[in-house]
Amino acid sequence: MNTTMMTSRRIAAAALLAGLGLLSLAPAQAEESDASSPAIAAKMNLRGKPNGIKVSEMRIVRKNDVLVVQADLQNVQNKDRMVFHRFKWLDANGNQVGDGESWKQTPVLGQQIQTIKSVAPSAAAVDLRLEMNVEAK
Amino acid sequence: MYTIMNKSLLMKLGAAALLLTLVACETTVSSPVVRFQRQVNYGDAKGVELVTNEFGSTDLQMIAEKMVGSLLETGIFQGRPTVTVSTVKNKTSEYIDTTNVMNSIQTQLVKSGKVRFTRSIQEMQSGVDELQRQTQSGLYKQKTQAKVGQMTAAKYSLEGELTSIVKQSANTKDVFYKFTLKMFDVEEGTIEWAEEKEIRKTSKR
Repeated sequence: MNTTMMTSRRIAAAALLAGLGLLSLAPAQAEESDASSPAIAAKMNLRGKPNGIKVSEMRIVRKNDVLVVQADLQNVQNKDRMVFHRFKWLDANGNQVGDGESWKQTPVLGQQIQTIKSVAPSAAAVDLRLEMNVEAK
Repeated sequence: MYTIMNKSLLMKLGAAALLLTLVACETTVSSPVVRFQRQVNYGDAKGVELVTNEFGSTDLQMIAEKMVGSLLETGIFQGRPTVTVSTVKNKTSEYIDTTNVMNSIQTQLVKSGKVRFTRSIQEMQSGVDELQRQTQSGLYKQKTQAKVGQMTAAKYSLEGELTSIVKQSANTKDVFYKFTLKMFDVEEGTIEWAEEKEIRKTSKR
């Protein structure tokens, strides 16, 4: 009886460990390391999961009366990813400036950093959002 | 007692398995792309067009955005100068309406409020016709008529060129587009600004 109890406990423990092991595979690792910093995340509209892509830096400057932004897309995994993105420019009231940019498709190879850039359509733009989603190839 | 324990254990294991299944089957978000489908829908005009690898709407939009962004960023338009659109040569093997590219660039620049455009050579005749109608037809009040000889000449002229390199193998087609735009000072004949946009599109059968 004791042996049966021990065996079932061992099986349960093994199953639990296996389950935990499965859960802690790649997605969990990615979620830990591909999160952008809170300041950058506040400027992002990310649809779905980052899938290993994080915005490591976002530089915004006003050049000749218009805002210019550069964002570094960093692939923290070895797997190549396809990123769809565009910048949305906002005026002082939070309204969108212009018709909106076209969507762009940018491949980011494993462990690569790709810089994307955009210029505001007019001087009315004072803020921005980076809209993006990452396609798992 | 063991039966109850086993049942409870089995239930817990079942719940864990269900959770794992749910995690694995979570639906992913769709990408803003336009692909070939056998049904008609209104789509996102700004979506990434991937129907074929020929010159498409996304290429046009990306070129216009890059050119406009570069022009605004350089600050060459201090004092709202006048600009006219000259020729845009299509040196690719495809039929591409390059006027469309220039129209997008012109529209975005006008909306920025940083520059004024004068009539291009192609738009001139309709302007002259309207002036003649107002001044020579005798139909209009004198004080409302537009005066001849009051047009503002362009300080700068925009000239562009679109080229392509196509490579094809049994199962891969690679197209490389390059759009070059230059802005000349009309009086001095110097290039005051230039920008390029390179696009690579690869398709596999």
